[in-house]
Amino acid sequence: MESFETMNFGAFARKKLNFLALLALAVMSFTAVPQAAMAQDSEDVSLVEGAVAEPLETTVTEAEAPGFEYYGPEMIKGQPVSSDEDLLGSMTFQPQYTDNGDYALWMHDAILMPIITVISLFVLGLLLWVVVRYNKRSNQVASRTSHNTLIEVIWTVIPVLILVVIAVPSITLLARQYQSPPEDAITIKANGYQWYWGYEYVDNGGFEVVSNMLSEEEALDAGEPHQLAVDNRMVVPVGVPIRLQTFGADVIHSFGIPSLWFKLDAVPGRINEKMLTITEPGIYYGQCMELCGARHGYMPIAIEARPLDEFNAWVQSQPGGMTRAQIEAQEAGAAAPAGEDTVEVEGGRSPASSAEDAPLAGEPPVDQAAPTT
Amino acid sequence: MATMTLEDRNKRTMFFGFGMALAMLGLGYAAVPLYDLFCRVTGFGGTTQVASETDAVLAEQFAASAGGVSYSIRFDANTARNMPWQFKPVQVTDTVAIGQRDMAFYTARNNSDAPITGTATFNVEPEQAGRYFNKIQCFCFTEQTLQPGEEIRMPVLYYVDPAALDDPNMEGVEQITLSYTFHRADQDPS
Amino acid sequence: MATTAEGFDAHHEDHAHDHADHKPGFFARWFMSTNHKDIGTLYLIFAIIAGVIGGAISGAMRAELAAPGLQYLGTFVDLLGGDGSSFDQQGHMWNVLITAHGLIMVFFMVMPAMIGGFGNWFVPLMIGAPDMAFPRMNNISFWLTVAGFLSLLFSMFVPGGTGMGAGVGWTVYAPLSTSGSVGPAVDFAIFSLHLAGAGSILGATNFITTIFNMRAPGMTLHKMPLFVWSVLVTAFLLLLALPVLAAAITMLLTDRNFGTTFFDPAGGGDPVLYQHLFWFFGHPEVYIMILPGFGMISQIVATFSKKPVFGYLGMAYAMVAIGVVGFIVWAHHMYTVGLDVNTKMYFTAATMVIAVPTGIKIFSWIATMWGGSIEFKSPMVWAMGFIFLFTVGGVTGVVLANGGIDDNLHDTYYVVAHFHYVLSLGAVTSMFAGWYYWFPKMFGRWHSEFLAHLHFWVFFVGVNVIFFPMHFLGLQGMARRYPDYTAAFAYWNEIATIGYMIMAVSIVIFFVNILYAIFFGKKPEANYWGEGATTLEWSLSSPPPFHQFETLPVIEEHHSADDHISPKPANA
Repeated sequence: MESFETMNFGAFARKKLNFLALLALAVMSFTAVPQAAMAQDSEDVSLVEGAVAEPLETTVTEAEAPGFEYYGPEMIKGQPVSSDEDLLGSMTFQPQYTDNGDYALWMHDAILMPIITVISLFVLGLLLWVVVRYNKRSNQVASRTSHNTLIEVIWTVIPVLILVVIAVPSITLLARQYQSPPEDAITIKANGYQWYWGYEYVDNGGFEVVSNMLSEEEALDAGEPHQLAVDNRMVVPVGVPIRLQTFGADVIHSFGIPSLWFKLDAVPGRINEKMLTITEPGIYYGQCMELCGARHGYMPIAIEARPLDEFNAWVQSQPGGMTRAQIEAQEAGAAAPAGEDTVEVEGGRSPASSAEDAPLAGEPPVDQAAPTT
Repeated sequence: MATMTLEDRNKRTMFFGFGMALAMLGLGYAAVPLYDLFCRVTGFGGTTQVASETDAVLAEQFAASAGGVSYSIRFDANTARNMPWQFKPVQVTDTVAIGQRDMAFYTARNNSDAPITGTATFNVEPEQAGRYFNKIQCFCFTEQTLQPGEEIRMPVLYYVDPAALDDPNMEGVEQITLSYTFHRADQDPS
Repeated sequence: MATTAEGFDAHHEDHAHDHADHKPGFFARWFMSTNHKDIGTLYLIFAIIAGVIGGAISGAMRAELAAPGLQYLGTFVDLLGGDGSSFDQQGHMWNVLITAHGLIMVFFMVMPAMIGGFGNWFVPLMIGAPDMAFPRMNNISFWLTVAGFLSLLFSMFVPGGTGMGAGVGWTVYAPLSTSGSVGPAVDFAIFSLHLAGAGSILGATNFITTIFNMRAPGMTLHKMPLFVWSVLVTAFLLLLALPVLAAAITMLLTDRNFGTTFFDPAGGGDPVLYQHLFWFFGHPEVYIMILPGFGMISQIVATFSKKPVFGYLGMAYAMVAIGVVGFIVWAHHMYTVGLDVNTKMYFTAATMVIAVPTGIKIFSWIATMWGGSIEFKSPMVWAMGFIFLFTVGGVTGVVLANGGIDDNLHDTYYVVAHFHYVLSLGAVTSMFAGWYYWFPKMFGRWHSEFLAHLHFWVFFVGVNVIFFPMHFLGLQGMARRYPDYTAAFAYWNEIATIGYMIMAVSIVIFFVNILYAIFFGKKPEANYWGEGATTLEWSLSSPPPFHQFETLPVIEEHHSADDHISPKPANA
């Protein structure tokens, strides 16, 4: 009976049944999920209030709800380009899937690359000319010239002008990258641990998805690139702003996704924040980019960007996951009885899922990242 | 100086060099308090400000003339990895009028079977908001000790300085995240 | 460079020879040496040994990276007495390799060779001084450096957390280096930096004193050869930057061992502050490594073009400018650490400013060659190689300077390619240029010019094959400090490893050339490069007498720095 209910839970959301049904479920999950999660931990069954908690208890155990299917390898978009398939493609940036990434890529390809190529070739050309024209045989007597104010001014001023040309789009790019996320941006936290990532969905009930690297066999079986594939992807909505916050639980890690032009350190004792808006659904791989110890090379990141409704369906398939609509409905319901100062900790809308304890409760199964030799 | 021997001149230059090195060494150490001061004064890195009751009253009066601007405040909670507490905000977000005092609560529960003292670090994002985020009262000002299984509610009394309205860097900021991280204050290995 | 040196009168050397060549016995000469030339030689030998070890470590790294998967790390772990089957120990081993490679190459190869080796040898000779100002302190500097190196090597054989050795990267970031690495290895690595740093600070003071007080009569600052200028600027950078590193790593040490919390958030510290302190040292440090190279290239280009350096004053003050600006750009190494937008914009702008004095130097070198009558002897070929490779490394620096672009390139192989182009292909190339320029002068025997040319071309091809593909890997997002990678990165990594093998061959040629010089090398004359070589060291025999300039040479007043002067080799 329990698993049957669970199936409906996910299926309802995916089919976008009428709002009332969602609302009802939301209220149910709101009251029950934290307790259910706790019940899992402590086996203190007396806390669980019978009927309401019953269906939800199993959502906790079954992480992957039947209603939601993860993308297969055909949806991989952000990954290194193999030189076997596209030699030229393997020599430049990965294709970009954010607006800022497009702008930065344009700046690199249209401004920086031509400038640095021309400068390098110009210097090479001058050197070659000097070799041809001013070698001992071609020019027997060396000139005495050691000053030419005009040329010295020129080679000071022209580089300055070139730098100004670079500075304009550079400052523009920075300003774009630092745009503040809107209030309703979906907030996701990437927590760096030695040596895996945890993704905390603070706007969706506060559950945390622990993400470990797949072994080479597992990755290849799944049709995914080895060293980049993970067991639980970071599922995010596509086309809407994400307020991505990073935090380092032990040492400094860095959350970097080349195809999204995104990199932000995860520092112990503080959070960092950047806005991220992905333009296309797909899978985007990244890695930890700051030396963090023995398995620094073995804590990849895989982002799965889904349309908002699919993202919501996925959220509901997670233990304690709630969509924004559900939370709003719950707030509307809770507002009347509970004033701000009398909010009960156990029943509040604050995150209290078992996932939050995951990094404390014991080492996650990182052994699967074992050597692949 | 013509009267000085080469040896004397060399010694003088050597002491000048060593003096410079010592000064830089001192500056290296001085960087610790100076950086701290710099952050607290300018809000660099999202460092919040500490305000007195009087400051708060003044801000409130000033804000009354500023009109009904408000910010959404997000409350974020983290624990260091060796910290066996469950630490979380009571509300995830709240909306406050600028200059208006507001109280938010966090809860912390000691999940271990030993008493543990914790201390909290904090910052706000976006970082330019650090200058304008004032705390009148905060659990982060002192250490907290929790008995095994004990759970407490901890208040933060804060307001957003109306001066934020005059700062072009604050344009477009709609939400400010106030983040805390609890660390073990007693550094015995866990 | 033709900045000085006509009108000096070193004939007195002839009369002083009997006395000047009185040398102490072997032990006293090489272990208690107070002679700047002997100490310079010791530094050069030390740098070659350290370079071979550091280069062998990079060979181990390139071997491991030749193909995806972990191939050799387990063996290395076993060799160091660990458990080679442990995955964590293999990963740790990798981190130990990258850490050791970085620290050895920076602190025990480039710095000792540039400043300790060439600086000690030629600063006194070029300014007409009998020796360094504090000969015994000079000796202490050298042995402190050796002790530091031994401490670093020792750290590889003691526990450092997840395995043997310090696996924290050359940047030693907290908290990985504090709470993240249990065991004495990191302490020994930090101690090694203390020793090397102390040696460098003593050396820097020595150079500053020597250059300020002991120039031959008539040699004003504006007549000094550019190599001396470069060492002077470098010495100031050392004096201002190294103490900050010393403070930062001492704080790490007390955080690790005595319960302080400078960088530990649990006690109110801030790990980001460590990065600020480290890079406040670290950015000037990269100029410390390259400026003496600039100086040597200036001498060499002028010598073989038979022209005075173009824009002498501009060249000298460009180095000063690079040194000064180098202190206010450090946070471009920390773009992703969580800086606000204004900070990042400032550091973007300030960093790009450095391109201007650097450009002045590049163009001035070319202008020096322009109109010259160039002889392509081996040092000149190396110098031209340097100019081109340093340009390539410099322009990728302009790309990385952009905070917004760096968001994608930070800590990728693009950065690795960039700093190896300016250091491995820049600083090291300039060191080889200086080596062949002065080798007969220092050791009194000719190297083989053919082998020196061959060395250049094999090295040039090798390092480009190693490091150019790294740009591609970096653009593709391959992270630094990874022992393993996904299959898509395999192609360019394999090519880079082939490049390493080519480069290794060039190092063999380098050693063969030394052997050639020992066994077959002819005795060089005093000024073997001819009319273009006009600085004071060319007035002395090759090798110079054990004590030189006991009667100071006099630089005549009416010669300005820019006069082209036909040399008058005193001892020819």
